[in-house]
Amino acid sequence: MLRIGASRLLQHGGRHAAVVSAARTQSSAPDKIEVFIDDMPVMVPPGTTVLQAAAQAGVEIPRFCYHERLSVAGNCRMCLVEVEKSVKPVAACAMPVMKGWRIKTDSEMTRKAREGDQSMAFGSDRSRFLENKRAVEDKNIGPLVKTIMTRCIHCTRCVRFATEIAGVEDLGTTGRGTNMEIGTYVEKMLLSELSGNVIDLCPVGALTSKPYAFTARPWEIRRTDSVDVMDAVGSNIVVNHRTGEVLRILPQVNEDINEEWLSDKSRFAYDGLKRQRLVYPMVKDSDGELRPCEWEDALIVAAKALKAADGSVAAIAGGLADAEALVALKDLVFPDAGTGTDLRSSYLLNTKIVGVEEADMIVFVGANPRFEAPLFNTRVRKAWTYNELHAAMIGPDVNLTYDCEHLGDDASIIGKLLDGSHPFSQRLTAAKRPMIVVGTSLLARPDGDVLYAQLLQLSQKLRSSCEGGSEWRVFNILHRVASQVAALDLGYTPGVADIRNNPPKVLYLMGADEGAITREDLPKDTLVIYQGHHGDQGAEMADVVLPGAAYTEKTATYVNMEGRAQQTQAALVPPGMAREDWKIIRALSEIVDTRLPYDKLNDIRNRLAEVSPNLTRYGDVEEANYFAQATALAEMVSGKKGAAPIDVPQKKLEDFYMTNSITRASPTMAKCIAAVKKEAANKYIE
Amino acid sequence: MALRLSTSLLSQLSRVGRLQGRAVSTSAVRYVDDLTVKQVEPKDTKSILASEEVQHQKAISGYITIDTPVDITPISGVPEEHIKTRRVVIKLPSKNAMQWRLFFDERERWENPLMGWSSTADPLSNIQVDFSSQEDAIAFCDKNGWEWTVVDPPVKPPRVKNYGANFSWNKRTRRSTK
Repeated sequence: MLRIGASRLLQHGGRHAAVVSAARTQSSAPDKIEVFIDDMPVMVPPGTTVLQAAAQAGVEIPRFCYHERLSVAGNCRMCLVEVEKSVKPVAACAMPVMKGWRIKTDSEMTRKAREGDQSMAFGSDRSRFLENKRAVEDKNIGPLVKTIMTRCIHCTRCVRFATEIAGVEDLGTTGRGTNMEIGTYVEKMLLSELSGNVIDLCPVGALTSKPYAFTARPWEIRRTDSVDVMDAVGSNIVVNHRTGEVLRILPQVNEDINEEWLSDKSRFAYDGLKRQRLVYPMVKDSDGELRPCEWEDALIVAAKALKAADGSVAAIAGGLADAEALVALKDLVFPDAGTGTDLRSSYLLNTKIVGVEEADMIVFVGANPRFEAPLFNTRVRKAWTYNELHAAMIGPDVNLTYDCEHLGDDASIIGKLLDGSHPFSQRLTAAKRPMIVVGTSLLARPDGDVLYAQLLQLSQKLRSSCEGGSEWRVFNILHRVASQVAALDLGYTPGVADIRNNPPKVLYLMGADEGAITREDLPKDTLVIYQGHHGDQGAEMADVVLPGAAYTEKTATYVNMEGRAQQTQAALVPPGMAREDWKIIRALSEIVDTRLPYDKLNDIRNRLAEVSPNLTRYGDVEEANYFAQATALAEMVSGKKGAAPIDVPQKKLEDFYMTNSITRASPTMAKCIAAVKKEAANKYIE
Repeated sequence: MALRLSTSLLSQLSRVGRLQGRAVSTSAVRYVDDLTVKQVEPKDTKSILASEEVQHQKAISGYITIDTPVDITPISGVPEEHIKTRRVVIKLPSKNAMQWRLFFDERERWENPLMGWSSTADPLSNIQVDFSSQEDAIAFCDKNGWEWTVVDPPVKPPRVKNYGANFSWNKRTRRSTK
């Protein structure tokens, strides 16, 4: 859905998107019925509500409680409209239209009915001391959402969001009439990884953002559309900024990815962008201390080491690295390396995020989608609610916010499912459109390749027998970090065992902060170059630090877990002497005497397209279908299975908030963890 | 250059033609009683326009028309920095927008140390250019030498809403509480 100006990229344009959306529309359109909105005839499918029919005619009926993505509540009475020959006004949000109805959205009766709403005609304009001024005490529901409960009009959008989408029944109402209040019954935190969305939902500002409170006015703010990199979902966001500072991050609607929601980590971790930043290049001096220096000095030290290493160089890419930086680094360090280490369908979420809505059975293997990819989990929950999706889990018994059959955490279950001896096999084979979702932590196990091979074979077996046919993909990988798919597309290999076994003379860390390799794994004389934006584990062990840009500061490509390329837009400039990542490597290449052949963003994007054309088809998913070949390869894998139970790294809510260098630097995320831990100690709640 | 000249000439001529055409078809009311007085012969609009066309052809006969994109960057006086390095996103600014808008890439902003105001050195940061069609916006960017990207508006899938689902006894859409 995105097109790029360069002529060679132009051809790939929006055509794919058209094909995809066409495939998703209903095959047989039901007969439409005619209704009249303010005497304008409209043809709508049966079952359409009055409000939707009016929207189709271009008339927006005012509403407070109605929300497209939530269930119909019908309690605000703002959307009451007159229907000809009906004695009473009808609630447009809840009433399905009948053939030939004449709906009047602006008649005398409609206007009179709307005034019944308390927020339209609340109180008299001079005091007669006839009714009490309603005041409600504010509630403390955690470090993210601030409440000003007197503003609340009881639309119950937040209650419906929490129960229907977030899947936590923390919010509810007490009392009735004037005494009605929204709250958590007992004072407790809204324990959800999606709690920030109630701020966007609230039509009156009773729920607002605590970190953003009193920091800015909306008209002072500049908005830049971008993409989130806190997880591999690739949620679309709008970065709100002023005077070179991110003030808040809001979600942007993308029906194929995040709908209109955003996880709390993506929404609130922005204050980590101002702390622990690397703002100037640094080189370790003779005392072993990193000292700030000029770009020239740092680049010369790095270049000398790279030259002297004579090919004994290794690179590790971190979870926040963008595709441009990855390709530049690859061209600099391994100019002769091939591309694509794997069949593409073996490492993608092949059914896509929207595809979950068509599935009827989903089996998670060593994955906790609730914390690894919260917005993928909301999709699964949506399918569970509306399409009777059956979910099962092989791994620890975690709370996914919906009913999930726990098959156990024994790795041998996978083998039993493959040969059909497990009690669950029968139901799995009977599924029409099954999905198997494999977590990346499973693949990192010592026996990961054996389990992976078995899962591939199982998926292929299910695929050949299921009703979805060859178009339906069963096998899915749930990635946890934003850079992973792009890195695999470009030919990076997963795992660092190679580096540990043959330590290189120079190790280049491209934002690698997760401690996969520590100083202890390397010989004393190995020079570590760290390029990244935060002073975290990577910079700590580095000899040369090259300050890079965070995701809000660069126009860069990221590929999400489905294989959908998207680009972030630079909202700010990198702080201090920091620079965009691919430009740093380009400058370094000049000093190493292997000048990389790109000077402009479009040049490097052409290079990306050369390596893997899907990387520049922004907005589109490039599908892959090499399951037969992958299964053939999987059959050759042999090895011993370990006895360790299948586990996931993130089990509880407090494990969710800090997963990368930005979130680790964020005070808000630290507050969340403290609040969740405090909540866990509260003996009055479960 | 020839292309621009020829187009402007054509538009001028056609405007003249339209004016004359209007002058020819005057009011139907006659203020003359004597019908024997010789009236002005009504002229055929087509023949007049045809002669215009002939004149126009004659006027541009010395020129050749080149079908290449227009580029005004050499004469617009815009500094090179704001031609070669700028990227533009073309999109509809909001849900119900009718106009395509240009969004320039962000440049550095800072807080003015004296007053605390937000400052920038980017001359394009506050301009707002709207176009009625996507093609016009693209043409404008091409003419000014900016690299552009178009973001198509999202397609909204139809959604079934049903109040009764809150009370269905055998579905997960049942709501126990409000």
